[in-house]
Amino acid sequence: MIKKRIAVYIGYIALLTLLFFIPLITSEPYVFHILCLIGINIIFACSLNTILNIGELNLGHAAFMGIGAYASVLLVMRLSFCFWSALPIAMIASAIISLPIGFLTLRFRGAYFLLFTFLFAELVRMLLSNFWIGLFGGIPGLTNIPRPSINITGLLNINFSSNIHFYYLILILVVFTVLIMHRIDLSRLGMVFKAISQSESLAESIGISSMKFKILGCAIGCFFAGMAGSLYAHFVGIITPTDFSIHAVLAPIAYVVVGGMGNVFGPVIGTCFLMIVSHFFLRQFGLYELLMYGVIIVIIIRFMPEGLISLPRIVSFLLSKPPKRGED
Amino acid sequence: MELSLLLQGGLNGVMLGLNYALIALGLSLIFGIMGIVNFAHGEMYMLGGYVTYYLFGLFGLNYFATLIAAVIMVGFLGVLLEKIIFRPLTTRPKEALTSLIAAVGLAWVFQMLAVICFGDLDKDVPSVFKGIINMGGVVITAERLAAIIIGIGLVVVLNIFLLRTKVGKAIRAVAQDKEAAALQGVHVSRISALSFGIGCGLAAAAGALMAPIFVINPFLGGEVILKAFLVVILGGMGSIPGAMLGGLVLGFIESFGCLFFNVPTVSVLTFTLIIIILIVRPQGLLGHD
Repeated sequence: MIKKRIAVYIGYIALLTLLFFIPLITSEPYVFHILCLIGINIIFACSLNTILNIGELNLGHAAFMGIGAYASVLLVMRLSFCFWSALPIAMIASAIISLPIGFLTLRFRGAYFLLFTFLFAELVRMLLSNFWIGLFGGIPGLTNIPRPSINITGLLNINFSSNIHFYYLILILVVFTVLIMHRIDLSRLGMVFKAISQSESLAESIGISSMKFKILGCAIGCFFAGMAGSLYAHFVGIITPTDFSIHAVLAPIAYVVVGGMGNVFGPVIGTCFLMIVSHFFLRQFGLYELLMYGVIIVIIIRFMPEGLISLPRIVSFLLSKPPKRGED
Repeated sequence: MELSLLLQGGLNGVMLGLNYALIALGLSLIFGIMGIVNFAHGEMYMLGGYVTYYLFGLFGLNYFATLIAAVIMVGFLGVLLEKIIFRPLTTRPKEALTSLIAAVGLAWVFQMLAVICFGDLDKDVPSVFKGIINMGGVVITAERLAAIIIGIGLVVVLNIFLLRTKVGKAIRAVAQDKEAAALQGVHVSRISALSFGIGCGLAAAAGALMAPIFVINPFLGGEVILKAFLVVILGGMGSIPGAMLGGLVLGFIESFGCLFFNVPTVSVLTFTLIIIILIVRPQGLLGHD
């Protein structure tokens, strides 16, 4: 048991070292552009997974990413905050806005929750694109968003305008997010979430206030969605309301499901797999890219419902010999 | 505000509403029977439009024959999808979620197949019924009037089918309680496949009705599914009368709203109105929970 644990930790450290030293292998800006996008999507997929953990699918999750992005950008550009204070404020804003929304929508289950959050996402998109254009920039959105930088005179001067520097920032935040998600998953809180997702009435019968915990789970998810939004805005440099429409949440849902729902590492694996396949292999197929993407999703859902994370188990099950009679 | 303008708005509202109702009826039927939110439903509408474009527009088949062909072809596609993809998913845990995502994947597949096969440009279907009808100041083109009449006809036929025939009764029985229906000798999986087919066929009928009035392109489904969702939420998931009422309400809101306000305001007002309705009545106007 302990040996296995040590092996797992060594595996993590090896993976992190590899990710840390990628700039030594290649310095192609495109590669780092994609790696940064993968990182942002991992954070977003993890946050989506938190809400899936309480048994609901949030179709309006991209709207919370949008709230984070707009909050952070407006703080930096209109009120001249620095990025490092705008990021946490954007995350908190996203979480706070999720509280009343969660209070209203989490009373519904299943398809109703889904459709209600979908309505919310459309409402946010329409408000952002058609109202207070002076503030939100309307449909063209906000442009010329500055990249963050650290400037402590005489001590540190890092400018994140190069993709490689931004990659390290995102790497740290992805590890931070995954660690927190892992910690929550193992904690009592994670157990409560699982209990609620399996049977809400049973969970309530042993004294869990399911509404309270569902709102909390939703807020945690939206907190990290805000982080993903803020990072996305400052990485890409331009945000428009359509970036955060209902269509923006469909691909991340696919990442989570393809990787494996409910597991902390599922979204990470799913995002890496689908984004790497799409950006490095399918891109050359032009129009056929999205087609293959759809086909991959349908096939994985149809034949591997627990996602890629169940692949080792399936393989070992197929390789193992059937037990002899009378052995068990 | 003149009376004729109001009547004009009302007629346009009825046309839009019937269109939305036809799409939402199928969505609601599928949800009621299988508990699946079919995200690929808008693509069925789009395919209905393309069948019309090719059979009627290019090959010059009779319009009504085209309409029936569109319903049958897309309906058959729906039955296939149910058998191959959705039915096996219903036996698994978290079926609502996995089938939703499978439907999203399918929507992409159909959209891209349409781009590859039909091209991504707007296509214009020639109008079927030419001429303009003037009823005391209220002007309507003949094809819009025809769309209203055929739409009403389809809704009436569907209702008679669901309420009076044996198969229709079996569909409603399965929607109410699967096990009890199976105990009465209803072949549940066959009924599910049939209702999936009927649902998709209705969307195709709406597409075939609207194709001569508007233009068609591969991305039509995305906008249509949004409207259908609104209608279904408004009317109540799985409720057939609810889908019809919801469709008409949405059609009237859009058509009258545009007379008084600008388009973005109307959209925001629609959403706010629907959210308020849902807070007061979470199961939708005619839904029961």
